[in-house]
Amino acid sequence: MIAAPPPPALAPPAGERHHRATTAVIETHDLCKRYGSSRGIEDVNLTVRRGEVFGFLGPNGAGKTTTIRTLLGLLRPTSGSARLLGLDSRRDSREIRARLGNLPGEFVYDDRLTGHELLRFFAGVRGMTDLGSADLLAERFEADLRRPLRELSRGNRQKIGLIQALFHEPELVVLDEPTTGLDPLMQEEFLTVVGERRERGGTVFLSSHDLDEVERICDRVGIIRAGRLIAVDEVQAMRGRAFRHVTVRFAHPVTAAALDGVAGVHDVVADDATLRFRVLGDLDAVIKELARHRVRDLEVTRPTLEELFLTFYGHGVPA
Amino acid sequence: MSTAVHATSASARHAPRRAHAFVALVRQGLRDNRRAPLTWGGSLGAMTALMTALWPSIEGSAAKLVDSYPAGLKEAFGISQLDSVEAYVDAEMLSLMIPLALGFFAVRCAVRATVGAEDRGHLDTLLALPLSRRTLVGASFAVTGLVLLSILTVIWALTWITGTVVGAGMSASALAAGLVNVWPLTMLFAGVATLAAGIVHRPATVTAIAAGALAATYVLDVAGKLAGAIEPLRALSPFRWYGSAIQHGLDVSHVVALTLVAVVLAAAGAQLFERRDVL
Repeated sequence: MIAAPPPPALAPPAGERHHRATTAVIETHDLCKRYGSSRGIEDVNLTVRRGEVFGFLGPNGAGKTTTIRTLLGLLRPTSGSARLLGLDSRRDSREIRARLGNLPGEFVYDDRLTGHELLRFFAGVRGMTDLGSADLLAERFEADLRRPLRELSRGNRQKIGLIQALFHEPELVVLDEPTTGLDPLMQEEFLTVVGERRERGGTVFLSSHDLDEVERICDRVGIIRAGRLIAVDEVQAMRGRAFRHVTVRFAHPVTAAALDGVAGVHDVVADDATLRFRVLGDLDAVIKELARHRVRDLEVTRPTLEELFLTFYGHGVPA
Repeated sequence: MSTAVHATSASARHAPRRAHAFVALVRQGLRDNRRAPLTWGGSLGAMTALMTALWPSIEGSAAKLVDSYPAGLKEAFGISQLDSVEAYVDAEMLSLMIPLALGFFAVRCAVRATVGAEDRGHLDTLLALPLSRRTLVGASFAVTGLVLLSILTVIWALTWITGTVVGAGMSASALAAGLVNVWPLTMLFAGVATLAAGIVHRPATVTAIAAGALAATYVLDVAGKLAGAIEPLRALSPFRWYGSAIQHGLDVSHVVALTLVAVVLAAAGAQLFERRDVL
């Protein structure tokens, strides 16, 4: 990893910094997109503030990509409106895209081009001549810009996608499943880069399936299900409400009754010397209760996103 | 309650000039098609050169051969007399082969940069850049025109050099007029493809529409020459206005008219493309 020279601030001057928490970089009002009779997104009202990393979560087909593509002007809203960077998403689309970087869910481009050729082309469209920032990002992501895209693995192509989304120092970065195909080291580097963007006042809007990644980097998350934005919350608040799957293997058989009355414990299933259950909230009481028996193994796992949605937002209302 | 970020804030960066995007797209489009002059121009040029090379050996018998053709066939293919190398190249290459082949090339070129790019998912990346879809379509149309010109230049060079070497007596200016005449005709079908791409999302469908129009208008022109009842409909076919520039010189008014129709079709396509969803 190399130390980059101090990059420019991505936000307004210091005097405006106090607005960070209250200014909207993305603002949608009853945004709706339908494909004929098929559902796309319905009445999405979303505000993403300047300087925050916003995670956009939802199962496949929930409407994440439709929302992003509507914000970017690729799809025309059926009704409602969206403003990005204070500009109308349709009327001022070109001006918005000058200040925005985007990584689509499936980054594909002419695979005969090398990374350098692609970035030079994109820089030309943006009226840029200096690719220094792209080279620095390439070093950080260990991306090979000299080989044609067709010779790169999916993860290495994704790195080129990330570089083209970031190299022009955009104020707003929209990333659809950005870490797909990246190895853990590069995922870590990506999270560092996103953190640095936030420090400089940049705003990042990312969709992801990876709850751990979202928890680590995002300030707030929005959850979309069946085309509707069903919850927007601080990550910490959501984490506090998330249940965990717990599997305990004891040295001897234990019945489900062993956890009767323990706060937050649900759906206890006993199978000889193994107990499986879900815990909502604090684990302290559970651990103390389990400690009454000889524990051979303890496994605590987070729910999948889908389980989380079904548990907390099953009726479309945050818990 | 949130406050929208003002576009005039100190951090606001203005969109680059449209010319930046246009020039970058044209440069990239030319690079993508850099082999076309060799493949399309080389193959069509080789065929035309072969016809030219054959001319000295068949010159004496050509008139008799044409006399043996049915009158309808001669009318349909515009063969009145085969008394010069220009007339021979016209009959063999410029009346059918080159316009149809390059018409299809123009359609393919226009489709590839618009609805083809959409189908391959390239537009999700490209249209996140600060360029309008009209600029994208305009650049694609310009690239098609420039690549066609380069292909026609290769055909001209191969044919004229061959004609000179074998002593066929080919007029460089007549050959140039015949080939320049192909350009607006084929660009018109690029315009048809662009218009269709402004409505339809599937590249195969757009290609079928534009290539179908190419074939149908050619057949209409030929049929109009043969059947008096449908002769008035020939006016609807661009081939009616294409004529035979290699033999009779370039009709500038027809060239301008066909070019204008091509530009209008492409402009309408660009407008529709700007307004539709990119799937």
